[in-house]
Amino acid sequence: MSRRYDSRTTIFSPEGRLYQIEYAMEAISHAGTVLGVLAKDGVVLAAEKKVTGKLLDLSGAKEGGYGGSGEKIFLLNSNVIGGVAGLTADANSLINYARSAAQQHLLQYNEDIPVELLAQRLCDMKQGYTQYGGLRPFGVSLLYAGFDQQHQFQLYHSDPSGNYSGWKATCIGANNGTAQSLLKQEYKDDIEVKAAISLVLKTMSKTMDSTTLGSEKLEFAVITLDPETNLPKAKIYKPDEIDELLQAEGLSKKEDDNAMKS
Amino acid sequence: MSIMEYNGGSVIAMVGKDCVAIASDLRLGNQALGISSNFQKIFPVTDRIYLGLPGLATDVTTLRETFRYRVNMYTIKEEREIEPETFAHLVSSTLYERRFGPYFIEPVMAGLSRSATGGFKPFIAATDLIGCLNFAKDFVVAGTASSKLYGVAEGLWEPDLEADQLFETISQTMLNAVDRDAYSGWGVVVHVIEKDKVTTRTLKGRMD
Amino acid sequence: METSFALTGKGYVIVASDTTAARSIVKMKTDEDKIKVVSPHLLMSYSGEPGDTIQFAEYVERNLRLFHIRNNYSLRPSAAASWIRRSLAQSLRSRKPYSVNLMLGGYDVTIDSPHLYWIDYLGTMTEVPFGAHGYGSYFALSLLDRYHDPEATLQEGLATLKRCIDEVAKRLVVSPGKYKVKVVDKDGAREIEL
Repeated sequence: MSRRYDSRTTIFSPEGRLYQIEYAMEAISHAGTVLGVLAKDGVVLAAEKKVTGKLLDLSGAKEGGYGGSGEKIFLLNSNVIGGVAGLTADANSLINYARSAAQQHLLQYNEDIPVELLAQRLCDMKQGYTQYGGLRPFGVSLLYAGFDQQHQFQLYHSDPSGNYSGWKATCIGANNGTAQSLLKQEYKDDIEVKAAISLVLKTMSKTMDSTTLGSEKLEFAVITLDPETNLPKAKIYKPDEIDELLQAEGLSKKEDDNAMKS
Repeated sequence: MSIMEYNGGSVIAMVGKDCVAIASDLRLGNQALGISSNFQKIFPVTDRIYLGLPGLATDVTTLRETFRYRVNMYTIKEEREIEPETFAHLVSSTLYERRFGPYFIEPVMAGLSRSATGGFKPFIAATDLIGCLNFAKDFVVAGTASSKLYGVAEGLWEPDLEADQLFETISQTMLNAVDRDAYSGWGVVVHVIEKDKVTTRTLKGRMD
Repeated sequence: METSFALTGKGYVIVASDTTAARSIVKMKTDEDKIKVVSPHLLMSYSGEPGDTIQFAEYVERNLRLFHIRNNYSLRPSAAASWIRRSLAQSLRSRKPYSVNLMLGGYDVTIDSPHLYWIDYLGTMTEVPFGAHGYGSYFALSLLDRYHDPEATLQEGLATLKRCIDEVAKRLVVSPGKYKVKVVDKDGAREIEL
């Protein structure tokens, strides 16, 4: 009998719930963790990659592109980076939509799209997919890290229902509860980017399933203001830059760790 | 009175040795009345491509925004910067879309294209207002002072100019040509594009 | 004939427009306000085809207001100007284009600076330190070339504006009688009696 309320998104269950949306959120809570921290002078984003392996061809990520491996962290516009958790295929279509919405705003108003407005654009679409017949909601949660003139640096989160909210620090995907309680303890209101980077990496290393952090499991990005032009500068780290960063933070896997395993 | 001469303005691009230069005047007018002496007609497309849009000023802004949109979408989808040859065809097809109600602009572009060996090759091109491409090896001109620009450039340009010599040549060409054109002038901006840098200079010229 | 001037100064923009509403050779009205406060820190003077002017000004006003209601912030002057320009440029290639010329003066509260845009019915837009539309522009622009000072106080700015108005009154055959003057600065827009 319960099937009657499961198979279509447009139908409420007798308890007043929309199961498909809840299932979508459930799917996300098994996806790779994405973590964001808002600092005074920037926003930091990190994500755990799930699809890894020796044979996976990542040569594209090493040079060219915007950085990132195309799985978790994407450049949405020159002033916004997005981190996704959930179905990658759904995410790709949302990212395409976000990028063209941002460009359309640029075309119409000659300014970069404000971060909240971009989040709203995507949420309007996500909400639509929870209501109109025969459609499945997007199985994706996003974090938006960005900058605009009105509200400076911002961090937003949106879920499959089309809800969005602003955060100082938040986490989506697997183990998000643990990460969030860790962040709640450690976060300070006037944190700066440098400290935020350490906080993000420390929290990631504690919440990720794997014991060691490395570029093959991690994506990382920071958005700050370019001191010369005073414009937002989004930087998505390339694999060797991530390893370098981890080394500097003293979180990279040690040589003898590998030796012991083998 | 042609609509191409309504606002005035001229652009020129020249090839040098491993570098290219593009220059325009800065005037915006309403026929003979000057409105602005800081109206940019040249826009960066990528780090190595610049596009000049002389013609009707409303279309300068419209096309600038259109090309920025299309190039950004290209960059995002392809995950790489557009090459000058590709961009020239983008310009051409964008203008030809409006074949029977054209934008009143004659674009000029200058850039460095990546060769197979990893080096850079100078590239300049111009089109008419409906997108007919003209790939030149020496220089291209457009705008209200185009006839004068042809004359001066024909006399001053020579092959294989170094970046600083090319800057001198294009600046003198521009300054002298716009002095003979009532609709162009009020300052000149020059961009010299080299493989690792772009130098932009604004020249005063005759400000009357 | 219809005339409007605008000039920037230290932290403000002054926009002035004549107040005549004419039909053919007859003055129908001499107290028409042709400067709209389209958002808290944005002034727009409009002239051109009667009917089009008011229709377009209200269209702009309502769209900027809608944007504010939807997004909880006002468009910055540069963004509003780009949007308005695009509307005119699109209208130009439609079946019945709006025939409206604008001076758009605004104060950008996010970067604390005044901005002035000269826009015509074709969708031509340029940011200027001072500008004018109509027959008055032939007299005012050369005066402003000589007397405009971007660092002038409001008092000095208004004195310069007065020069323009007096010159037009003196030399233009069909000069308008009265002007309305509005100023926008960090505190918003307000009207000023000359």
